[in-house]
Amino acid sequence: MSGKPGYHGRILEIDLSSGKSRTVTIAPEDLDRFVGGQGLGMKLLWDRLKKPGVDALSPENPLMFIPGPFSGLPVPSSSRTCVVTKSPITAPLKSDHCHASTVTYSNMGGFFGPEIRFAGYDGLVVVGKAKELSYIVIDDGKVAIRDARKFKGMRTDAFDKAFLEELGDRKYKTVYIGPAGENLVPYSSIIHTAGRAAGRGGSGCVMGSKNLKAIAVKGSGQPGVADHERFLAALEKARRALYGTTYAKSWAEQGTARAIVGNSNAGTESVRNYREGTFTEADKIGGDAARRDVWVRDFACYCCPLACKKSGVTKGKYGGVVHDGPEYETGVMLGSNLMISDMPGLLRAIYNIDDLGLDQISTGNVIGFLMEAYEKGMIDRQFLDGIDLKWGSVDATLAMIEKIAAKDGVGALAAQGVANLSRHIGQGSGKFAIHVKGLELAAHNIQGNQPRALSYVTASRGACHLSGDDIAMQNRRAMLDSTGMCFFPTFEPALEEPMLELLSAITGREYDKAAFEKAGERIFNLEKLFNYREGFRRGDDKLPDRFFEDAFTIGAKKGAVLDRRKFEDMLTKYYQERGWDPETTKPGPAKLKELGLDLV
Amino acid sequence: MTKENGGTFTRREFLKGIGVGGGAVVLFGQFGIHSAAWALSGEPTLKMVVVDYNKCTGCRTCETACSSRNRPASVSGKELPGLGNPYFANIMVHNFNPDVDVPNVCAMCADTPCARACPVEPDPKTGRRALYRDQGSHTMRNDAARCIGCGSCAKACASQRTGVISPNPETGKPERMCTLCGGDPQCVKRCPFGALSYVEVRRDRKFYGLGPKKIAAELARNWYGTAGFGGVK
Repeated sequence: MSGKPGYHGRILEIDLSSGKSRTVTIAPEDLDRFVGGQGLGMKLLWDRLKKPGVDALSPENPLMFIPGPFSGLPVPSSSRTCVVTKSPITAPLKSDHCHASTVTYSNMGGFFGPEIRFAGYDGLVVVGKAKELSYIVIDDGKVAIRDARKFKGMRTDAFDKAFLEELGDRKYKTVYIGPAGENLVPYSSIIHTAGRAAGRGGSGCVMGSKNLKAIAVKGSGQPGVADHERFLAALEKARRALYGTTYAKSWAEQGTARAIVGNSNAGTESVRNYREGTFTEADKIGGDAARRDVWVRDFACYCCPLACKKSGVTKGKYGGVVHDGPEYETGVMLGSNLMISDMPGLLRAIYNIDDLGLDQISTGNVIGFLMEAYEKGMIDRQFLDGIDLKWGSVDATLAMIEKIAAKDGVGALAAQGVANLSRHIGQGSGKFAIHVKGLELAAHNIQGNQPRALSYVTASRGACHLSGDDIAMQNRRAMLDSTGMCFFPTFEPALEEPMLELLSAITGREYDKAAFEKAGERIFNLEKLFNYREGFRRGDDKLPDRFFEDAFTIGAKKGAVLDRRKFEDMLTKYYQERGWDPETTKPGPAKLKELGLDLV
Repeated sequence: MTKENGGTFTRREFLKGIGVGGGAVVLFGQFGIHSAAWALSGEPTLKMVVVDYNKCTGCRTCETACSSRNRPASVSGKELPGLGNPYFANIMVHNFNPDVDVPNVCAMCADTPCARACPVEPDPKTGRRALYRDQGSHTMRNDAARCIGCGSCAKACASQRTGVISPNPETGKPERMCTLCGGDPQCVKRCPFGALSYVEVRRDRKFYGLGPKKIAAELARNWYGTAGFGGVK
């Protein structure tokens, strides 16, 4: 259908203001240069928001669901959908534009991205704002916008079930927001299969601002590939690189939860609102404990041989069905970071956060900040609407989660994130308000891990642990998140060659390691251009003081603290190597020319 | 079921045994579910794809492997395996909330309720209705030229067995009957978790011939202890 192998060559645009939808052709050179996922999303955002300062919650801001060239083909672990939009969370220190914010992207596994491609599109773009709460149904070429008012306020687990019953066909793959997104909590997530999330960066809030409760999609088609035989041969190689390997089995065994104990031992875990890198009770909430007491089943995303996701049950006061978890991020942000070591309580918190449609990471970070401010006497129980928000308290954590999602009382403040909370509380609390550009840090602590600190401060969406710890890694990740493949299998070196081979066979463009990284560099630089245009400068690539002042007092990295001068030197070197002005971080003309971005 | 067993099984032991497999046979013997003689004398031994639900992760690789084989592509005049569009697969993974995945595939029923429901007059020479069991492969096939697209076979399959047969949305003619890939089922071969096997049809196997919703409901009860199972009515 398109001249471009590996693609349909078109996206579906749904305008909720007019209630109309249309297919839009994507220029072949954009597919070549920006690939899909995070990259194509960035290019579409750049093209659509022609000026800085567009309010992320205005109808103008597009909310985009972009799979990649691997999506919809049986390439191992190619299940990802990248949700790209303008961030409702981040803000520069200074800007001429009152709604200045970064790009945001959130990468989600499951089955949604492939289904978009089965339906005949390389992406979905939602613009405008519906008059009433609505949902979108896409069945190949048929698109309908329907009234969702009866689902208003419905939590995501119940909605996941109710929505499929409403649709009457289990083949639909769905994404939706919970009460938090409807209430415009900035760090709301978009949920899929009740236990998978596009969590970071506020995409659920943007969805809520459009009065969009859910999207359902199913399809019967598939894009073609440039070289069919080469594709089949490379697919065999990719499967061989992963199937039945010790590497794959280790993911099935514990998923990311293995690192809950591992990182605590290494002193790189977020503990007690980032005060420490080691949690002495990590073993109570780690992978071994979960395997023993909670998990009954491993499950996988589309065509993935790793099966890193887990489900199970817990008993007692907090007991119930566990859709997922603990994973590393959820287990640490709601466990170690809050000093919670009660497994059923931890899992109840994780479940409720997904159920309400909040970002696990920001929510855990915000509650950790409040616990510390409460401990230090900067806020009292009255401030917290009577909640006794002590370290380790499951009940207080659960109460705060509800308040945030409902924006009720103190929840309305907490919903604004730690940057805004610390501004409100004052008293020097900014030192332990753990964010970059307004987005909260994740479950990796950095007093003893300077490369990860680089990832946090230079990531395009605010504090992101996944951006990459050096330039090459950042470029690779930006590209990988544009292909539709998950990054978990890519730590297996044997996958690299077949993965590049597959990409070449599908798209008809030859990718070696260098070409792959170059494409990623182009994407990363366009993100930088976007953020720079909004007003983000070097001063925004900034960490809270805690990391330079509060050395760890326990664990393998006891005494570790970042050195401000070394850190700044590292940043200067980073900008120089990137070809950016180290004073302002503006990408230099030579670099832009090299990447073919000088004309954008 | 633990109750029926007098509580001598721990939950974990039970979970281990509840899938289809060697353990299951022992377990079901203890549960007093009688084995039934299946193959009639003189009838061929039927084989099928069975699922170990404890191993299945719901990744749907089976769907793509099936489609790739059974929906080949024509590339520059050459017939090659297809790109694995799951829409054309004869095995389909049904997933539920809470997390249970049930691949649904033809049960190769000896008594062929689907073919018996076919209203097309049997061919005087072959005795076949439009839907029939192929004597070579022992799989169910549809003679599209004689099929009237009435959907009776799909209804019979859904009400009596797995419900895997689905009428083509345009022609109404039955689809998704397993071909066994000429004796080398690709879904079995490609499953990354070893959850599928190619074995003799035995009606006394746990879950034999049941539809995905019934199977999922029982798995959910056993795994999660919940009756509030999503999407199953």
